Amino acid sequence: MPDRNGMNPPHTLADALRALPDAAPQADVWPQLAQALAQRRRARRWRIALPIALAAGVMLALLLPRVVERETPASMPVAATPARDDSASKVATTTKPATTEEIDALRRRSHSLETWIAAVSAQAPQDGRDLMAAVEVEDLIGVVDVQLDAARNDAEALPLWQRRVDLLEDLATIRSAAALSIKGDARVAATQIL
Amino acid sequence: MTASNFQIDVPDLVLAHARRGDVRALEQIYRLFERPAYTLALRMLGNADNAREAMQDAMLRLLERVGQFRGDAPFWSWLRQIVVNEVLMKLRRERGLAFEDIPDDADLPGVEPAPWMLADARHLEHALARLPALTRSVLWLYHVEEYTHQEIAAMTGKSVSFSKSQVARGSLRLRDLLDPSLSNTSETTPCQTATA
Repeated sequence: MPDRNGMNPPHTLADALRALPDAAPQADVWPQLAQALAQRRRARRWRIALPIALAAGVMLALLLPRVVERETPASMPVAATPARDDSASKVATTTKPATTEEIDALRRRSHSLETWIAAVSAQAPQDGRDLMAAVEVEDLIGVVDVQLDAARNDAEALPLWQRRVDLLEDLATIRSAAALSIKGDARVAATQIL
Repeated sequence: MTASNFQIDVPDLVLAHARRGDVRALEQIYRLFERPAYTLALRMLGNADNAREAMQDAMLRLLERVGQFRGDAPFWSWLRQIVVNEVLMKLRRERGLAFEDIPDDADLPGVEPAPWMLADARHLEHALARLPALTRSVLWLYHVEEYTHQEIAAMTGKSVSFSKSQVARGSLRLRDLLDPSLSNTSETTPCQTATA
């Protein structure tokens, strides 16, 4: 066997093998390779984008209503829940101003959330699972509304308004997740987020 | 020709662009190494279609990970290792790494001059193609790519002595196949290589 440490005769097997001509594939492999590479990159980008989009959706659901609320003029009439307005106004003069202010703030937040949810819901269809969850939350909001109508004073109304806002935030989370990832144009949303 | 054809330096600028995912740079790298990578796969596998597939898979693996290349070793050696691994995986899948003993009648005394000195490239390719896949791979990795027996043993999952014996017996078998007095042309399998 030839020795590679300088003891070789001029033409060793190694020399003979190395002297064989290079080979090349008969067809150009690059187009297929470039296509496969692009597909894998897209798949990888999507795997990264989807969780980010979902997380962003949840964040959006929680933060956007606050932003909207901050931008809403304090003098803006709150018309989202007129029935509750009436019941609240009936008892407003008989309770502490601090409670009234809290209720007013919750009412404004409730209005902002309802406005935002209505806008998102109009843009994105939902799948069955999300729709069921949304209906369940909406039923709970309906129960709270009945309780609010029956509230005798602000002290009774305050926890109910707080409960209503919590439920609306839950509903916003469900709606935004649907809008961003499930049935809506999640790909566009993810690209915009990235 | 004294060394593996893989030993190609890639310009730093091309590598930098490739790391950023520039498709033109990736294509440049592919074009630089297309022939060495395919040749290595072909010599080890002995089949043009399998070689093309292995080369493509190895290149895809490389181009996807080029951003991870840190420059600790030459780029070409990194790529070559990826190709070798891909081919060995393919051989394992197709049971090509199963040991096929070379008949003892191949252990013939050497004759002078060695037949590969007289054989043309086509005959040598034919003879090479008739070796068992593992023997052919070990022979090529040792003689052409200059891997050590230790490295070959680690890559193939065999012992160092096994690698040495494959080189020795493969060389003798090639001598047998190339010796005009012993050759039987009707037994020669068609050469499936696509040479330049």
